[in-house]
Amino acid sequence: MSIFKKIVTYRPSFTVRILTGLISMLILLSVCTFIGLADRTRLNVRATEFDARSIEAGAKVYFDQCARCHGPNGEGVEGLGPALASEQFVGRIELVRDDMQMQSIKVVQPSERIKQIGWSGTLEDYIIAVTEAGIPIKTSNVWDVTHPTFSERLGGPLRGDQIRNVASFIVNYGLNPLPNDQALLPPAPGEGMAPRPTPVPLTAEQEAGKQVYLAKGCAACHAIRGVGAQGALGPNLTRIGSVAEERIASESYKTNLKDQPPATTAAEYIRQSILHPNAYIVAQCPQGPCQAGLMPQNYEQQLTPEELNNLVDYLSSLK
Amino acid sequence: MAFVGQKLVKQIQTTGLKATVAQRLDDAFTRFTAGLSWNDVRGVLRGDPPAKPNPRVKPHTEGFWFHIRPTFYHEAVTTLYPTFRLGLLSAMFFTFEIITGIFLMIFYTPSPTYAYGNMLDILTNVPFGKFMRDLHRLGAEAMVIVVTLHMVRTFVTGSYKKPRQFTWFTGVVLLGVTLFLSFSGYLLPWDQLAFWAVTIGTSMADAVPGIGPELNLLLRGAPDIGAGGLLRFYLFHVVLFPLIGVIFVAVHYYKVVRFGISLPPEMEAIGEDTARKVPPEKRVNFLPDILTNELMYAGVAFAILAISCATWYSAPLEHHADPLVTPNHTVAPWYFYWLQGLLKIPHMIPILPSGIAGEVDRFFANVFGLTPKVFWGVIVGPLLFAILFVVPYIDPNPSRRYGDRKVMLTLGALFAAAIIYLSFAGIPTGVPITGFGYVGGDPASEVGQAFIPDEGIGPVRRLPYEEYVAGKFPVNAQPNTGSAGLDRLIRDIHNDMEARKVRPDPLGKTLPADATGTLEVKQIQSNLRQVIITIDYTDVNGAPTQFKKYTFLHAQSGYAD
Ligand code: HEC
Ligand code: HEC
Ligand code: HEM
Repeated sequence: MSIFKKIVTYRPSFTVRILTGLISMLILLSVCTFIGLADRTRLNVRATEFDARSIEAGAKVYFDQCARCHGPNGEGVEGLGPALASEQFVGRIELVRDDMQMQSIKVVQPSERIKQIGWSGTLEDYIIAVTEAGIPIKTSNVWDVTHPTFSERLGGPLRGDQIRNVASFIVNYGLNPLPNDQALLPPAPGEGMAPRPTPVPLTAEQEAGKQVYLAKGCAACHAIRGVGAQGALGPNLTRIGSVAEERIASESYKTNLKDQPPATTAAEYIRQSILHPNAYIVAQCPQGPCQAGLMPQNYEQQLTPEELNNLVDYLSSLK
Repeated sequence: MAFVGQKLVKQIQTTGLKATVAQRLDDAFTRFTAGLSWNDVRGVLRGDPPAKPNPRVKPHTEGFWFHIRPTFYHEAVTTLYPTFRLGLLSAMFFTFEIITGIFLMIFYTPSPTYAYGNMLDILTNVPFGKFMRDLHRLGAEAMVIVVTLHMVRTFVTGSYKKPRQFTWFTGVVLLGVTLFLSFSGYLLPWDQLAFWAVTIGTSMADAVPGIGPELNLLLRGAPDIGAGGLLRFYLFHVVLFPLIGVIFVAVHYYKVVRFGISLPPEMEAIGEDTARKVPPEKRVNFLPDILTNELMYAGVAFAILAISCATWYSAPLEHHADPLVTPNHTVAPWYFYWLQGLLKIPHMIPILPSGIAGEVDRFFANVFGLTPKVFWGVIVGPLLFAILFVVPYIDPNPSRRYGDRKVMLTLGALFAAAIIYLSFAGIPTGVPITGFGYVGGDPASEVGQAFIPDEGIGPVRRLPYEEYVAGKFPVNAQPNTGSAGLDRLIRDIHNDMEARKVRPDPLGKTLPADATGTLEVKQIQSNLRQVIITIDYTDVNGAPTQFKKYTFLHAQSGYAD
C-alpha cells in the first residue's frame, strides 16, 4: 500500500522534469531520424508487397470472372476466348530491383499481339481497356461471344481497382508464359472473318434431340458452340461425337470404368454418360477436375425412351 | 523637428548602440511573452525562485495562451493522484491528432475511386506516410482510452459534484466527440474493415422508428454507403466533430480554470469547495513548475507513441471495400463492441434455447411494438450514454469522500462491469466461459475462417511462400510433405479439426466425426500459388457435403513479417 501511495504522490523535481523531457525529445528525434534514414527503401519494399497482393486479388477476379472463357491456365477456350497466358500475348518479362529495393518490370520480349493489332499503349493498358469496355466491334467469327463489359461504369461487375488487379495478374504470366503451341491464339486482324462452314442440316430426330438438350437443363452445365448453351460445370460438348470415340479408345476409360460394360460406339458412350454419369468420370472440366455426382443421375426417369434416342442421335452428330 | 525614431537616436546617444539594441530586443521579447523579460524566462527555465513581485503571473493576465491556464495550482493536485494527468493527456492527444491529421489530409481524397489508392500511396510513396498514419491511428485509439479513464477518475474522486456539474456535462459531450471522431475516421481508408464496421454502425440509424430512413439518408447520402457517405463522413471527421471538439474543450478548460482542480476529497470538509482558496504556501506556480511538468508528460507520451509505431504497431489496411462481399465476423470498432453486445441480448445464447429467442423477439414486437434492434440499439444504447450526462444532477450526496459514496461507487463499478461484459459479448467469439454473444457459423467454415480469414492474415498466409510445395495433402497428424513449415500447418489444421469434433461450440455444434480435410497447393504462376482447404463430411441429413476455402499467395506479399 505504501509503495502505491509513494507512486501516486510522487512529485518529480525540476531537474527530473527537464531531464525526462529532454530524453523523451531525444528519443522522439532519433525515432524520426531512424525512420527517415531508411524510409525510401522501406517504402519500396512495401510497394513490392502491395503489388504482390494486387496480383493475388487479381487472381481471384480472374478465376471468378475470366477463367470460363480464357481457361483456368490462361490457355484459351475453344469458341469462347483466346489465350491470355501465351507468349504471343504477354511476351516475356523479368523482375529487377535497384539498390534502393525498388522493383520494376523489365520487358524482355514485348507482346507480339499488341504490335499485331497496332495498340499504342502498354500491354497492361490494353488488358484494362478490353476488360473495362469489351471489344465493341466483332472482328472475327472464331468466337461465339462478344466480350462482356466488366467496368462498373458500363454496367459490369468490376470496380476500377479490381480491373487493375486482374491486369497485373495477367501481365505476371509473362514471367513464365505458355508456349504458343499450347495456347489458343486469336486470329490476326483481318483473318477469321470467313463465315463458318454451314453445318450439316439436322434430321428431324436430331432437331428434336437438340430441343431436349435445351429443355432438360443440359445447357446449364454443358456448352455447345453456336447453340446458345454456355454452361461451364461439365465438359464442353461441341465435338462430343468425335470426343466420344477418343474416349472409348483411351486407356483411362478402360481402367476407370465402373459397374457398366464398356461402350463400343460413340452413341453407346453418350447414352452411358447420360444414364450412368458416375460410371466414368471425365478428367478435365472447364473449371478444374470433373467431380463425380455433379451430373444428375435420374435421366432414365426424366426422359422418355424416344427423347433419349433423339438426344443421343443429336449429340453423336456433333463432330 | 520630431521625426520617427527620434527617441531611438536619443537613446543611442545616451546609452550607446549595444545597450540600446539589447534593451529594444528585450522589449520586443517581453511583448511577445506578454510580460516576461529574457532574464525572467531564463529564470523559469533554470527553476530559479521567482522575484518579488512575481513577474511570472503577468502572462496569465496579459496573454491569450496563458490566460486560459491558471496562475497556480494547489500543491495537492500536482502529484499523480488525484488527476493522473488524464485531462491534460486528453487535450494533448486532441492537438496531436489535429497535427497528424493535417499531414494525412494532404494526401487523401474522399472519393471511393481514390481513397484506397491514396492509402496505398501514403504507405508506399509518401516519406513518413506510414509513420504518420500509424501515429494518427494509434493516437486516436489511445485518446478514446485516455478520455474514458479521465471520466472514470473524475467520477471516482467525485469531481463532478457542485460546482463542477457543468464541467462534467461538457466532458460527456467531449467523450461523444472523441468516439464519433474515431468512428468517422474509421471509414476513410475505404477498406473492407472500415466499410463493414461503418455499415453496421450506421444501420442503427436506419432502425430509429419513424425517421430512420431519413436519418440514414442524411448520414450516408444514399441508402447504402457510397461516394456520398464517404464524403459526409470525411466532412464529419475533419470539420464538424473537430469544431465541436474545439468549442467544448474551450468551455471545459474554462470551467477547470474557473473552479480549479478539485482537491483530494479527504482534504476538504463535506460540501465545501476550497480549490480556489489556496494559501500562499501551498501554491505551485504554473510558471515554471506546472508548465515543465506538462511538457515532460507530453514528451514521454509522444515518445512512447513514436516508439510503438516504429516497432510493434501497424495500422491495419484490408482489401478494398466491396459492398457485395461481407467478410465473415465483421465487427464494429472496439469502442462500440458494447453496443453490438446489446443487440445480441434478445438471443441470449446459450441461456435461452433458440426457440425462446424467437419468443423474445415476438415479445418485443407485441408488447413494445418494437423490434429488438430498435429497443436495444436505438433506445437502450443511447440511454446508457445519456445516463452519463445526468450523473451530477441525480447524485444527491454532497460528500466527495469515498467512504460516504459506497452506493454511487458500487453503481459506477456495476456500470463499468456491464459495459465490459457487453463489449465481450459484442465480439464474434463472445464472452469467455459463458459463450454469450458467440456468432460462429458452421464448424467447418469456422476452420476455414481460422486458417484463411476473409480479412486479416491468418496462419495460411503467414506461412512463407517458400514453405509450400505443390500437391494435394490429406490433413492428418503425420503429414509428410517434405516441408517442415507445411507439415506444421497441416498438423495445426488437424488439431483444430479434432478439437472441434469433440468440443461443441457455444451453440452446441460440433464438426461431424467423419470430417476429413485436404490441403491442396497449386502453382498458378511462377511466383503465385493457390492454397485450398477442403473439408468433406456427412451433414446432419446424411448428405455428403464439402466445404472449400482458398487463397492466393504471392512470393513477395510479405505477410510473414
Ligand atoms: C464470355 C466470355 C469471356 C469472358 C467471361 C471474358 N472474356 Fe476476354 N475475351 C473473350 C473473347 C471472345 C475475346 C476475343 C474477342 C475478339 O477478339 O473479338 C476476348 C479477348 C480478351 C482480351 C484480348 C486478347 C487478345 O489477344 O487480343 C483480353 C485482354 C481479355 N479478353 C481479358 C479478359 C479478362 C481480364 C476477363 C475477366 C475479367 C475476360 N476477358 C473475360 C471472351 C471472354
Ligand atoms: C449439374 C450439371 C450437369 C447437368 C445438368 C448435366 N451434366 Fe452432363 N456432365 C456433368 C459433369 C460434371 C460431367 C463430367 C463428369 C462425368 O463424367 O460424370 C458430365 C459429363 C457428361 C458427358 C460426358 C462428356 C465427355 O466429355 O465424355 C455427357 C455426354 C453428358 N454429360 C451429357 C449430358 C446431357 C445430355 C445432359 C442433359 C440431359 C447433361 N449432361 C446434364 C454435369 C452435368
Ligand atoms: C477531449 C476530452 C477531454 C479533455 C481534453 C478534458 C480536459 C480536462 C482537463 C485538462 C481537466 C483538468 C484536470 C485534469 O487534468 O484531470 C479536466 C477536468 C475535468 N474533466 Fe475533463 N476533459 C475531457 C473529457 C472529459 C470527460 C469525458 C469527462 C466526464 C464525463 C470530463 C470531466 C471532467 C471533470 C468533472 C473535470 C474536473 C475535475 C476536477 O476539477 O478535479 N472531462 N478535463
